[in-house]
Amino acid sequence: MNENPFLPPDNVIKAAEKGLKEINRYSNIKNINKLRELIALYCNTHSNRVVVSQGSEFLLREVIQIFSHDRKIIMVNPSFFPSLYYAKEHAKKLVKVQLSPPKFELNSDVILKETNEPSILIIDNPNNPTGSILFEKNAIKELLENKQTLVLVDEAYYEFYGKTALDLVNEYPNLAIIRSMDKSFSLAGLRVGYLVGGNIFLEKMSDFQPFISQPAVYAAIESLKDTSYMESSIKKIINERNRVEAELKNIGYEVFPSNTNFLLFRSNIPDLGLQLMECETIIRDLSNDWLNGFYRVSIGLPEENEAFLDIMNKLLK
Amino acid sequence: MIKAGLIVNPIAGMGGNVGLKGTDGEMYKKAIELGAIPVTPQRIETVLSFIKRRDLYFLVAPKIMGEDFLEGYGFNYEVVGKIGNETNAEDTKRIAKEMLKKGIDILIFVGGDGTARDICSAIDRKIAVVAIPSGVKMFSSVFALSAHAAAEMIDSLSNKFVDREVLDIDEEAFRNNKLSAELYGFLKVPEVKSLLQKGKESSNVTQSAETYKIEIAKHIFEKMEDDILYILGPGTTLEAIADRIGVKKTLLGVDGVYNKKLIGKDLNEEGILKLINAYKKTKIIVTPIGGNGFIFGRGSKQITPKILKIVGKENIIVVGTMDKIGHLECLRVDTGDIEVDKSLVGYMHVITGYNEEMIIEVQY
Repeated sequence: MNENPFLPPDNVIKAAEKGLKEINRYSNIKNINKLRELIALYCNTHSNRVVVSQGSEFLLREVIQIFSHDRKIIMVNPSFFPSLYYAKEHAKKLVKVQLSPPKFELNSDVILKETNEPSILIIDNPNNPTGSILFEKNAIKELLENKQTLVLVDEAYYEFYGKTALDLVNEYPNLAIIRSMDKSFSLAGLRVGYLVGGNIFLEKMSDFQPFISQPAVYAAIESLKDTSYMESSIKKIINERNRVEAELKNIGYEVFPSNTNFLLFRSNIPDLGLQLMECETIIRDLSNDWLNGFYRVSIGLPEENEAFLDIMNKLLK
Repeated sequence: MIKAGLIVNPIAGMGGNVGLKGTDGEMYKKAIELGAIPVTPQRIETVLSFIKRRDLYFLVAPKIMGEDFLEGYGFNYEVVGKIGNETNAEDTKRIAKEMLKKGIDILIFVGGDGTARDICSAIDRKIAVVAIPSGVKMFSSVFALSAHAAAEMIDSLSNKFVDREVLDIDEEAFRNNKLSAELYGFLKVPEVKSLLQKGKESSNVTQSAETYKIEIAKHIFEKMEDDILYILGPGTTLEAIADRIGVKKTLLGVDGVYNKKLIGKDLNEEGILKLINAYKKTKIIVTPIGGNGFIFGRGSKQITPKILKIVGKENIIVVGTMDKIGHLECLRVDTGDIEVDKSLVGYMHVITGYNEEMIIEVQY
């Protein structure tokens, strides 16, 4: 699993505990609205553009269900695999663009050509599991000029990348951004996701019912009151990522640039994933879903990263 | 109890470390002269040590072709067939046939493309195989990715299988740096999911290859236009399309279909050109052959540069199941005519299911 290795700060844990004391009740609308307001503040947008949910995955599902029956879905392969699955289940037509090494780029001309009929483009930017950037803001803008194209950008790794297309939602009703607090705010066990949408999305999603638990709502609200802890944990993860990347390259592995909290690397060592698993280190082997010999490793605590590097070093000897 | 056949090609892979590019025919003697050491014992022993299930009963080839390696793993077995001091392709074929006759649920073999070809000629797609890679030439897509993957295929054996191509190259030409790969047939291999992918980010390949094939066939059938000649390349996905149309296709050959009727079978270049000249418009439907994504030039040599020039890139339809296409970095062409290869590069849509496509780059 790809998670943040650091616990949230004490005040957030205490807030979650407060929520635990109310778990006989559903989360109340007042608190949900407070969460929406704080998200809006964090995103520099208006709270009526914010839809919250129990994890961003549910919002992805919802968007696919609502918008795909009368339009083509365009996605990339690989991507967050559950979205590809839902897309396959619901789409009138599904077109996937294969990402290939070494750059894992998305050719924007290919996408422009594909959007010659009513379409919804769903991209994770940065991409999971390659860590690459698929679209710069200008390229997204160009796509949005075509009003029959809807664009949903999954920015689950926004805090690691630092760039966003979120400010375009006021101008473009056909854009929505989905984000998660799972990784950046260390809330994977509570699942909090949100969507900031342009008007086309909001019109169809206004009655979306979030089923966020009490502890999740309280913890998310507390997390957003002061983001400095999150920012410092992101910095630590990025520093560790850069260190692991350099070390892996130094040992002799082919590692690809990342804008996330994980690294993609390639190796021809047979059963690499299994050998690591035997040493209690689990990484994601992409050979079953995508290309043989490609692996994604999440950045952990410094000592976990060290143990991983140690095994990787031994495997090459 | 699962009855598993086991055949080891003791000389497979020996050419590699002495730079011979294969040990077909008499070449293995040269490999021995050059000091090559057998690589298959280690391969099969690793796989045997990984197998967890204990309900296997082996029918094993004699001595160095299998029997020698089974000792010590606690499996019951019986030896099938006889061999001399030196082994050859005929031994593999004969023993595989004997095992088939005696009744086995799966055939495990260790070798390279040459061995796969021998096994294919002996058993075809009658039973499934687990192919453990040990050869120098590995153009076929039947082989398990690793020893662990092979063991996992055996441990999780079910009734789900996929057809995989057996390709082999002309070793003599390969030694002279010319690559000429032919499609020899298909073998059935178990369909398995990776052990490591669990939880939230589950698999991308959500359906079985067979379901995808049926979807592709339905999609193509519905989009097929009247008064267009369709040239169908080799492969089991094309076979599924032909089945949907209701015609019997040659699996390794190229056939012609017009208004949903078979009008040419197992065509060569001349035969295809005759049909193209006789009909107003032609479309070619092909699938990548082998694990490297070749759509033209390897395994479908009947569709020559001359034909491709006439038909044009815009009239080529590529089909392929996700379990195959999803693993490709790109599609490839190697027609032997560099100008034709150049004309085919760029992005291409591959039909991967019903109303489902993958856009992938074509390289040469």
